Amino acid sequence: MGLQTNTMTQSPLVCLRELNKEYGNFTAVDHINLDIRKGEFLTFLGSSGSGKSTTLSMIAGFETPTSGEILLNDTSLINIPSHKRGIGMVFQHYSLFPHMSVRDNIGFPLDIRKVEKGERDKKVDEILNLVQLGAFADRRPSMLSGGQKQRVAIARALVYEPEILLMDEPLGALDKKLREDLQDELRLLHKRLGITIVYVTHDQDEAMRLSERIAIFKEGGIVGLGTGKDLYRKPPNAFVASFLGNSNFLKVNVTGPTSAQLDKHHIILDDLHEMPINQQALLMIRPENLQVLTHQQAENEVLLDGFNQISGTVNESVFLGESLTCSITTPSGHQLISKNIATEQPDLEPGSTVFIRWNSKHSSLYSKWEQSDINKNASQ
Amino acid sequence: MLLSHNSLGWKLKYSLYVTSGAIAAFLVLPIIFIVFLSFGSSQWLIFPPPAWTLKWYIQFFNNPEWIDAAITSLEVACLTSIIATLIAMPASFALVRGRFKGRDYLYSFFTLPMMIPVVIIAVALYSVFLTLGLTGTMFAFVVSHIIVALPFAIISIINSLRLFDKSIEDAAVICGASRLQAIFKVTFPLIKPGIVSGALFAFLASWDEVVISVMMASPDLQTLPVKMWSTLRQDLTPVIAVASTALIILSLFIMIIASFVRKQSNRH
Repeated sequence: MGLQTNTMTQSPLVCLRELNKEYGNFTAVDHINLDIRKGEFLTFLGSSGSGKSTTLSMIAGFETPTSGEILLNDTSLINIPSHKRGIGMVFQHYSLFPHMSVRDNIGFPLDIRKVEKGERDKKVDEILNLVQLGAFADRRPSMLSGGQKQRVAIARALVYEPEILLMDEPLGALDKKLREDLQDELRLLHKRLGITIVYVTHDQDEAMRLSERIAIFKEGGIVGLGTGKDLYRKPPNAFVASFLGNSNFLKVNVTGPTSAQLDKHHIILDDLHEMPINQQALLMIRPENLQVLTHQQAENEVLLDGFNQISGTVNESVFLGESLTCSITTPSGHQLISKNIATEQPDLEPGSTVFIRWNSKHSSLYSKWEQSDINKNASQ
Repeated sequence: MLLSHNSLGWKLKYSLYVTSGAIAAFLVLPIIFIVFLSFGSSQWLIFPPPAWTLKWYIQFFNNPEWIDAAITSLEVACLTSIIATLIAMPASFALVRGRFKGRDYLYSFFTLPMMIPVVIIAVALYSVFLTLGLTGTMFAFVVSHIIVALPFAIISIINSLRLFDKSIEDAAVICGASRLQAIFKVTFPLIKPGIVSGALFAFLASWDEVVISVMMASPDLQTLPVKMWSTLRQDLTPVIAVASTALIILSLFIMIIASFVRKQSNRH
């Protein structure tokens, strides 16, 4: 294989093939298949115990897979020890060497590789400038702020030019404001450097804010993979819908390829599905895609093509500044949550009758689900 | 806290001061007493001393038996400290990092010499070295002292290793260092305070050991506490007070270093 084929065909940088990790009877990672593209920012998102950190540890080489394959540029990593994999990693608490200066922390990987002194110093200075820490080169890590520590950790992981950078919940311990600042900083750094980053977090906002693609982990498997936008707008299953953001779930009866029955209402579906007629299915609509109209508004505004309308009674509406959430009960007892821009929304008195409309393009339909998948339903 | 200093009434407060003072005096007075006696002119260790003198010190330093014993003590304590620490380091890694059956039992086993009455260890070692014909040798002294010193070194190193954030070592590994390189370049420097204080405690355990040493000693090779003990049985001379003072001063010195090392480690 020459250089040309490399640039022409974008083969994945890292491939996980049927990757499996068992601890006794417990399956931590369950036969995962995943391609990590060169230059992308990919996030492993999941709750604790979902297998995301174990998967990252296996890529880093701190955990040995029970079975399966990890390929980096088509070469197996399984029998290569951590220190020879040439992977960069930023740990949860940065794990800087407290007994070394910032300069020596960053120079450590080069010292281990016995890089000649002049070149070592040059590289360290370059990367110090890149992460804008030149002025702090002689400080100890204990004298740095959280953001500076993160940059040192990244610089230390990048100085030996690894092909991939792993990050294991590096912002987990910080408060919200600082975390958001560092997220922005990290996203910009990724854009500037173009390096491949695999990031682990349990925070969906963080995943959305940072990543180009998100892999959603559940019970050791990947149950959703795609851009944050796609996963949010068209969740592949009820779990992803419920895990990522808030959602309303309604049980419907399929009546045709683009139609269903919700209680007595006829509902239009956008999805072309292949479910048999009369099967029960789960309809998902995001709270912000539900329009709430008063009786008067509903009479004045025509129901547009492709829109559905059902009626309901307001339980409670809460003003949240930029938005207004409203909890509504349909005549058949379904609970729905709507969330709309507050300025466009008239006050909704508890007990008043309203009409709910949604564009069929903004709903998703699932034939299979588990009750536990949807229990988180609009809990926030 | 319920029993914070400020919330106590003055009666309780002062009775606390008095009790603490009494306990401190109880612990420290004999030591001060013996140091005073070493400078006293009375042959019979009369307190308070009728006059002050350095003649017992001159006697001590001019008597090759005392000096030899002191040097032997130093040699044994140094060797014990070094070897016990070298054994304790890998043992601590195994006991903290290892995932094997019976790890907790092994830990108890390593600290067993602290629980067993020293005299039992002493008799057992004596019978072993007697059959091997090794009593009265430096080897016997060092080996037997390592047995009592090892728990101190292990406990100290294990504690610092447990507090050490292993991900720092992992960071060194992912940076390209082999596990061994990472341990030497990152882990050891960071747990050094624990290693040093472990070594110091091992030194002290050997330095003031007397029960085992009495069994191991020969007329040619004895440690300072053994020499003191045997001298004490023959006659009561203030030179013993001088030897005690020497023991105390070195112990005190070691304790000061140990607390200094501990303070430094807290700064990280």
